[in-house]
Amino acid sequence: MPIPSVHEKSVRLTIPPAGTASGRPIARRKGGLRRHPAWLPYALVSPLGVFVILLTLVPAAFTLGESFFRVDLFDPPIRFVAFGNFVDLFRSSAMRTSFANTAVYVLIGVTLSTVLGFIMAVTLQRRFVGRSLLIALMIIPWALPGVAEGIMWLGIWGSDTGLLNSALTSLHLIDHYQVWLGTNPLLTIFVIELVQVWEMTPLSALLILATLQNIPGEVYEAAAIDGASPLRTLRHITLPLALPGVTLAMVQALVGAINIFDEPYVLNGSASTGASAVMQTYFVSFQDLNFGEGYALSLMITVVTILASLVILRFIYRPVEY
Amino acid sequence: MRASSRLFRSIALVLGAAAVTTELSGCSGGSQSPAHEKIRGETITVVMPAPPPPKKLLDRFTAQTGVTVKWNNVDFDSITTKVAAGGAARTYFGDVTYFNFLNGPQYAKLKWFLPLDTLLDPGVTKDTLGKSAFTYDKKLYGVPWDASVGVTTLNKSMFAKAGITSLPTTMDDYTADLVKIKRAGIVKYPLSMPFSAAEGLTVYWIQTTVAFGGASIFDKHGKEQFSSPSSPGYKAAQWMISALKTGLVSPGAVNDGDSQAQGLQAQGLSASSLVDYAGNVSSLYDDPKQSKVVGQVVYLPVPGAHGPVRSINLSDGIGVPAFAKHPAAAAKFVSWLIDGKNQIKFGGAGASDEVWSAQYLPSNYPALTTLNAKGKVGDGAVLLNILKNHSQPYFPYGTPEWYPAFSHAVQTSLHAAATGTMTVPDAIKAMAAAATH
Repeated sequence: MPIPSVHEKSVRLTIPPAGTASGRPIARRKGGLRRHPAWLPYALVSPLGVFVILLTLVPAAFTLGESFFRVDLFDPPIRFVAFGNFVDLFRSSAMRTSFANTAVYVLIGVTLSTVLGFIMAVTLQRRFVGRSLLIALMIIPWALPGVAEGIMWLGIWGSDTGLLNSALTSLHLIDHYQVWLGTNPLLTIFVIELVQVWEMTPLSALLILATLQNIPGEVYEAAAIDGASPLRTLRHITLPLALPGVTLAMVQALVGAINIFDEPYVLNGSASTGASAVMQTYFVSFQDLNFGEGYALSLMITVVTILASLVILRFIYRPVEY
Repeated sequence: MRASSRLFRSIALVLGAAAVTTELSGCSGGSQSPAHEKIRGETITVVMPAPPPPKKLLDRFTAQTGVTVKWNNVDFDSITTKVAAGGAARTYFGDVTYFNFLNGPQYAKLKWFLPLDTLLDPGVTKDTLGKSAFTYDKKLYGVPWDASVGVTTLNKSMFAKAGITSLPTTMDDYTADLVKIKRAGIVKYPLSMPFSAAEGLTVYWIQTTVAFGGASIFDKHGKEQFSSPSSPGYKAAQWMISALKTGLVSPGAVNDGDSQAQGLQAQGLSASSLVDYAGNVSSLYDDPKQSKVVGQVVYLPVPGAHGPVRSINLSDGIGVPAFAKHPAAAAKFVSWLIDGKNQIKFGGAGASDEVWSAQYLPSNYPALTTLNAKGKVGDGAVLLNILKNHSQPYFPYGTPEWYPAFSHAVQTSLHAAATGTMTVPDAIKAMAAAATH
């Protein structure tokens, strides 16, 4: 079997020629991966592959199949209902509201975290004193559990004793405490999603920063010689060349926003003003014990996530070669 | 995929957590009975929404029974998820776990928990309060480890400052007193109410329904009894929303769960809560670390339409999941946890290193009277009387198995009425539809 040159190169670069590294001949076994080095990558990824197959693909296949059955623990037996579960989901006004809410979460979350992440990445692109420390600190929100963040932000958004109300009142910007959550659906979603944006943006920034680090300095030097202004350089060099990282950041933000659960649940309870589609999955599956509808809803969320990711890939991603 | 992933993740999490939880005690010895010999050397996993009991007492349990306890402190919602995931997948996730009586009928019908009648030694639950809430089809599926009822709390200093000399016994008096406190400017919002869309809101509404003269929100056939405007349930919803709209309750209450609402009273920002939890005077209002109103808050029998009404039972329970690996050892631990002598120690009548902060009030009645006699129960005389003589099950005719879905409708509808996105009649209509469905 012909071996692609890139593999040969990679192997030569990473594995010293056998028998020479220590200066002593090494006893070799013939066969196996040495005789078939093309299998090496597959061997290396196989543990992860098994993990993904067992914990993702098998449950996904199971979910796909079960979503066409009525699996209601209080209404046995399990029976085939074709698209019955999906029809029931769309008939539910709570479900339709949660779909609309989730769409708004996605819109706000993906837009804000990508824009802010890009700004942060560009800021961090050049070396300055304390840059490494700043990057380390940036990771903290991303590393915190969603429930902990929700509780922390409740202290900020709180209507009776919240920090924001206290600050705005002290600055005489408002004359009485405001209720930020629960009254206006759009404001509620915006306020909740800000918490998730705060959590997701550092990762977006790091993903974009990783791409920016790959841009050769010569490109910027050439732009400077040609007299390009910083804004023009940002628009015509940095942004286009950062698109692979921006795409990745948008997809991770999309997945995060579609799967939002902890923040609305902690900040706004199960109220319809902030309920997301994944929250509905929890209610249907674990409160009502109607697993059939839960499977159907999960499948829909998965399909929407994949489709939306493909849309981002199609319209945002551009391959970059130096 | 998400439901399955959640299910798999839940199971993996429980098993993972069990594997890394610190072993609380190690040595064994003590008992010689055949039953004890059978369970000797077994290790049980206990999944509870609470920190573990004192190590000293757990070590003693191990020494007596030979059973080692691994304790997992997991929040309420996660336990519900684990019970559902474990039950549906018929998988082990623990030997003893928190048992929410509101989900009890689901658990019993689906056989996700073992009946304790045959597992526990006879007479162990003789003096345990609130057992009826855990009994389904005449079988006991859980046992209260902590006694609690819905009870009114009020700040007697604030009431006195407003010139109120006698404590209210009717809803009319209670409402008039709150208005008087507000008008006197003693506190801006005199009433605490958890209007966040969570379980506490359903509990508040059901106890308020009892206050307005409703024995239950369902009749014995499971038919809802609150959609008529003259019904106690309807009046309760109207009263709650009216309290919010007229400024007796803070507008911010729409974001408040139980703990936030209680916190307002503890910080001196409200004067009363119609529905509070028995045990909060000792554990919250009289705790100087958490409260600015130490010694000022007292219990009051819940005011009613024509005088005090019964308090609904809100005890926390424990049970043994159907797929427990060591049910006999688990039952031994349950018996130990509800034992009167241990509950007295947990309650602070013994050494200081034997106090268990998770036990607000013992579920064993003699233990409760002993602790009260030793001054360990805040405002204990009133509380003991309510617990023994004036409490009733949450649902006198039994909790319906579809309660979680109904409660979800109650929470979201009353919250929507509070935020103005729904009228009270529409909210009641939505709640009735959920009950009928």
